[in-house]
Amino acid sequence: MSSKRINPTILVIIMLGIGLQITFAHSVSTNIVVIFVTCLYLCYCKASGKLLILTSLYAFPLALGSWWSFIMFGTGDVWHTAWIYASRVYAYLYLGAIVTLTVSVKNILLSLSLHLKLSSTFVYGLLASFNLLGRIKHQYKTIRYSAMMRGTTYHFWNPSLYLRIIIVALNWSQDLAEAMTSQGFTEGAARTLTYKDNLPKWQWGLATLLILLYFIFSFLVRPW
Amino acid sequence: MSISLKIEDLTFTYSIDSKPIFEHLNFELPLNSFNLLIGPSGSGKSTFFKLVAGLYPQYSGIKNNGRILLNGQEIADIVPFERARHVAMLFQNPSRQFAMKTVFEQLVFALENIQYPTHLIEKRATEVLKKSNLWQFRDRVLQTLSGGEQQRVTLATVLVLDSSIIFLDEPFANIDSASRLVILDELKQLQLTQHKTIFISDHDISNYDGLVDHLYEIKLSSQTLAELPLTELAKLPAQTKVMQKNLPDNAVFSWHNLSFRVGERLLLSPNSLNIPKGYVGLLSGDNGIGKSTLFAAFSHQKKYSGNILYNGKPSEKIRLRNWARIVANIFQNSSDQFIKLHADEELGFSQSNSLHPEYWTAQRIQDAVNKLDLTHVLKHVNYQLSGGQQKKLQALIILIMSQPIMLFDEPFAGLDLNSLENLLMLIKQTTKDLGLSTLIISHQRRGVVEHIDYELLMDEQTIKRLGEF
Repeated sequence: MSSKRINPTILVIIMLGIGLQITFAHSVSTNIVVIFVTCLYLCYCKASGKLLILTSLYAFPLALGSWWSFIMFGTGDVWHTAWIYASRVYAYLYLGAIVTLTVSVKNILLSLSLHLKLSSTFVYGLLASFNLLGRIKHQYKTIRYSAMMRGTTYHFWNPSLYLRIIIVALNWSQDLAEAMTSQGFTEGAARTLTYKDNLPKWQWGLATLLILLYFIFSFLVRPW
Repeated sequence: MSISLKIEDLTFTYSIDSKPIFEHLNFELPLNSFNLLIGPSGSGKSTFFKLVAGLYPQYSGIKNNGRILLNGQEIADIVPFERARHVAMLFQNPSRQFAMKTVFEQLVFALENIQYPTHLIEKRATEVLKKSNLWQFRDRVLQTLSGGEQQRVTLATVLVLDSSIIFLDEPFANIDSASRLVILDELKQLQLTQHKTIFISDHDISNYDGLVDHLYEIKLSSQTLAELPLTELAKLPAQTKVMQKNLPDNAVFSWHNLSFRVGERLLLSPNSLNIPKGYVGLLSGDNGIGKSTLFAAFSHQKKYSGNILYNGKPSEKIRLRNWARIVANIFQNSSDQFIKLHADEELGFSQSNSLHPEYWTAQRIQDAVNKLDLTHVLKHVNYQLSGGQQKKLQALIILIMSQPIMLFDEPFAGLDLNSLENLLMLIKQTTKDLGLSTLIISHQRRGVVEHIDYELLMDEQTIKRLGEF
């Protein structure tokens, strides 16, 4: 990882620290600043443009939907409220993207366990399930075919389909837990960790500063 | 460091109201030796290994009586990271043993677990990968490896931990004979040069003569372990080949210029062939060559180019739902097949949807259940049956459906010879009576080839019928 980037742990803290405040803030301008700054960072990290555009398109109906419903059914300053909610969707989206599109899941989890003492059971449990995602996709197809072979069809809204996937996943998790235990993984025990990342002190300062700045502007200054 | 593993007067059961799997079992593992455990499917081979590896009763079951002692200490009380340095295990299901994404990460994960010094981890993992001839695999994604490759990675994971006792629970169930021999040889070397204690359970006793120091069998009558004379291993019938027969040219299922790839790798270059109706064929070929993928293509689960034809017509436009009534795929992984919770519900569901209800009468199904020795498990939950029982149930519920094309992917993995023969006879009888076209992938050849009508070999991106040019 390039040392010029922000540490994954700091990114998660910024995401949570600002994301939580966005929920209560009533300012379009601060949302736009968040969108602008996060986009700048995403460009700096050369995050996948295709993915960004795709997720932005996916979010569009959500933004439009809340915007429209406030215009139509809102009370008070409907234009202001509508724009707050619409911009909020994108502020959340890009705030999330600075974590998920610039760092791998493995590095996020390991960084959190290194700096914030996130439990290793949680970290490796999640990692294992992420690594199994591809198989779950494949499993979905297999389960559908197995049902069709027997003269019944599972549609994607059919709960039995998900029940089957859950049962399979439970079986997998039991096997996986046994294998991990036999490979020496011990819940709550100390482990060595080869993962290393760079977390200079100024980045803690940066996170604190950004979160505080957002707080001051959204709740004390309160621009439009 | 001297090490010992001992079982004293053990009684173990899966639930309070069921019969114990083991009763008053006493056993001491002979160290620095090569041991083999045999026994019919469902007799408790996996249970035994999980007990001595310290995984049970933590993960399942109840220990009613007795002790399992590693170096004089109750094994369940030893923390996993301590235990792993002495005892490690390879599991039946190769793909479900990995927490990490790539081969190298997996080895690092294991070393971190036992608190190996950080600065030595990379060196140690590299060393073991090179020694196991897996270096070129270091950055490969584990879930894309074939079953045999995955087992070799797990073995490397065990080696990296430097555990002195290695248990292998049916490790070759999904592995071709060439890779099996390679791994067996590797294990023997580990015993001789690094003084490891090896303990394998295997339903297939071929190739063990001369390797094994002690042979054990689970005695179902007394729920204990008995040592057998090694001469048992030499009592093997000679390996037979599939007899060449003249089969009628009556195919309803064929393929034309069929080809497919997995990622970048071409598995089959354009190939055309057909399979006769009313006969059972064997599809053989090395591990990872693409046999299961071929079945996936046949059942429209995998993209391919070319045509798959049914009754002379291309099948690509047929809706998947209808195609599933023509081509049945009996998956390598039994639990993928089940759509109900209990064994008897599965059978009932197949019976009411069967394509040949006139053939599959209640009596015939009952006979088949008896023959496959499933009578006493009908009320059980599918997922809790033993590996072998799942295999038999899975095959039966699809046989009852009786699709015209039957594709069996490793239906005999983990089955003892007796179960195998009964299942194969049932497949053969149904195929003949109903005029089905059946194709079986089986790494196990012993007890199988004698009953097979023809053999297809998949090799070097092509499929050919053996005995033809």
